[in-house]
Amino acid sequence: MLNGCRVLDLTTERGLMCGQILGDLGGDVIKIEPPGGSAVRSLKPFFADEPGPERSVYWSAYNRNKRGITLDLESADGRDLLRQLAARADFVIESDNPGYLAAHGLGYGDLSAINPALVYVSITPFGQDGPKASYADSDLIVMAASGLLILYGDEDRPPIRMSVPQAYLHACADAAGAALIAYYDRLNTGLGQHVDVAAQESVGLAAQSTLLAATIGGDETRRMAGGVKMGPIRVPLVWPAKDGLVTCVFLFGSALGVFTRKLMNYIYDQGFCDQATRDKDWIAYADMLLTGREPLEEYERAKGVVAAFLRSLTKAESFDLALQHGFLIAPLATIEDVLVNPQFIAREYWQTIEDRELGLTLTYPGPFARFGATPIAYRRRPPRVGEHNREIYIGDLGLSDRELGDLIRKGVI
Amino acid sequence: MATRLPLSDVKVLDFMWALAGPGITRSMADYGATVIRIESTQRVDSARTVGPFKDNNTGAEQSALYGNNNAGKLGLSLDLAKPEARAVVLDLVRWADVVCESFSPKAMRAWGFDYESLRAVKPDLIMLSSCLMGQTGPLARFAGFGNLAAALCGFYKLVGWPDRTPSGPFSAYTDYIAPRFGLAALMAALIHRKRTGQGQYIDQAQAESALQFLTLPILDTVASGRKYSPVANDDLEHAPHGVYPAAGEDRWVAIACRTDDHWRALCAAMRQPQLADGPRFSTFAARHEHREELDRVIGEWTRDRTAHETEQMLQASGVPAHTVQNTFDANDDPQLRHRGHFVRVNHSVAGDTFVENSRFKLSRTPAHVNRAAPAVGQDSQYIFEKILGYSADRISELVAGGVLG
Repeated sequence: MLNGCRVLDLTTERGLMCGQILGDLGGDVIKIEPPGGSAVRSLKPFFADEPGPERSVYWSAYNRNKRGITLDLESADGRDLLRQLAARADFVIESDNPGYLAAHGLGYGDLSAINPALVYVSITPFGQDGPKASYADSDLIVMAASGLLILYGDEDRPPIRMSVPQAYLHACADAAGAALIAYYDRLNTGLGQHVDVAAQESVGLAAQSTLLAATIGGDETRRMAGGVKMGPIRVPLVWPAKDGLVTCVFLFGSALGVFTRKLMNYIYDQGFCDQATRDKDWIAYADMLLTGREPLEEYERAKGVVAAFLRSLTKAESFDLALQHGFLIAPLATIEDVLVNPQFIAREYWQTIEDRELGLTLTYPGPFARFGATPIAYRRRPPRVGEHNREIYIGDLGLSDRELGDLIRKGVI
Repeated sequence: MATRLPLSDVKVLDFMWALAGPGITRSMADYGATVIRIESTQRVDSARTVGPFKDNNTGAEQSALYGNNNAGKLGLSLDLAKPEARAVVLDLVRWADVVCESFSPKAMRAWGFDYESLRAVKPDLIMLSSCLMGQTGPLARFAGFGNLAAALCGFYKLVGWPDRTPSGPFSAYTDYIAPRFGLAALMAALIHRKRTGQGQYIDQAQAESALQFLTLPILDTVASGRKYSPVANDDLEHAPHGVYPAAGEDRWVAIACRTDDHWRALCAAMRQPQLADGPRFSTFAARHEHREELDRVIGEWTRDRTAHETEQMLQASGVPAHTVQNTFDANDDPQLRHRGHFVRVNHSVAGDTFVENSRFKLSRTPAHVNRAAPAVGQDSQYIFEKILGYSADRISELVAGGVLG
């Protein structure tokens, strides 16, 4: 879909996935690393715990479908080469601290002067300007600032993040959509622009609009072990099964209460509760709790009924019931479970790229969407350091062998 | 409208509901697309029944969750079970560039609104189906909410304390990943159509989009056999790295020392410079090994200060630190204020309320967020008259036939 679109990917560890998405969509993505390779290549974990420039799992995770070149942006020659590349590029993606590239004459203003059609995407923790634009950051810091972290974890302990960093992935996925909106506009106007993605705001989406509570006088949502605390109502989402854990939605209101009614009918038929419990008004139940028409102890008792029912079944048994009857129950999977889930196997989701030189088989989650006319293909493994220098500098920019050799000797490439 | 917005030539017919789908079209509306959101009074959107609620009133038009996901759209209520509704839908399909739906896979086929049928009336249509597990395969019929997909994808077993049952992510996690990929998918398809004239069908499984965020543990598990389990706030590269108590009830500050310099600056700020170079803490490896002791020392220092004070003091020394913000903090956050994150809009029933702004900024064509989400069927008359050009008689017939259900 983006065939023929050239993407220059200058990103640090914060921004890698954005270019990968554009690459999946057919873009010609050139990952630009400093001579010697990106710092990301030394990030843990490594495949089989053996360090090496091609062995960082994080590097491999988010650099497929990219070619790779090296270029030293600290040198004048290097900056000149980047300007030449930008003159014929459609997108530049970067994730340095605000102002870093501009200080090197490579900011949006500089590059758009050369190429007004350029879509220049910046991915940063807090955005290009504002009082926190230069704050020191990390995944955890962005999570804290976003309003999401306070909602994760057990109420008797500090908030916790997801054990696999997520903050910048949200920002990268937003950045890809935003870049394409800008590119679509360019098809109409011929003009590019600067896309400014702040990870703080991107992550905020995952807080499910709870950030708005204070502005509109709504109840605050709070974290709770294996669930959510909405005002006084403690909603469990993790329930013990006979052989592990499941998630189950036991909620109320005109949309969700319908599922609860269906589930309670079944639970009654199985002998886990009396008629009066089955026949509670599950549609109005949240309101009844909030107005005190139903005591919270009675809600706790009802949850006990559901818990006893779920505990009497294995994960597989309750999931089968969910499929059969439309209940909102699913097992909590480990990564190993995900890999053998028959759904993903039936859809031929997992994609492998062999790297024979390294003796590695890279197994990736497959396409993020299935396009009927223009399917996503995983065409390239992540690039080696400077793997495509000749292709790009000689083939595209028209440097001679000698010029390339000189630049390599000077350490520019 | 002052500027021409990027998507002002894009028309979207939106049958989606809950969160994962409507989030996509909200972003398209921000950038100028005309989005008609179809709802049925027979089947209330679950997002309307979840808070936060304006003034804590749980009425169907009070949900800020619904409001946030549907700002800028036009609302049409239709009873799709009525045969007369079919002609209306087909007229809207002729009008639209993009049709999106998030019913379970068989529902659209049952109504005759599957891609092949719709393409017959609109050959270059782009259609996106978004559901939990995808349109095909043994779990295609498994419908539900994002917490279920998050459980099946492995996210639940990645949040928690090593000594306890997993805490799980907050609420319906995959619902907040999928719309970002859905937007990228639709924009790519629109670009492709503009260049070639070709429309197409897109099958988005929310789980398959969300698993992009677990690429690292998937690669690693397959290649290295490593087992992933929750490690609370532990980090492979950084120590200290955690969430520490602050003055007040449920108040916390996050601190992440990515480098030895960050660590030394933290020690200086704590007025305990002797800690910095002692053998127990001088390197990352040493700090990581002694992290419990380290976290205790830091916690003793942070607990008497407000999170905000600690944040300011540490950031002034270049140490990554931030208040763990709740809704009240976010409302006062100078950075979010600077970005214009909270936008006041006027809702036809709930009155003055707020939505969040676009999550990203486009310098030349900034998002245009000034219209609240529609009340159910709020714009039906306008859509029939101005968009579909129906006569007054036709509209009366539809109303009398109960099509606007």
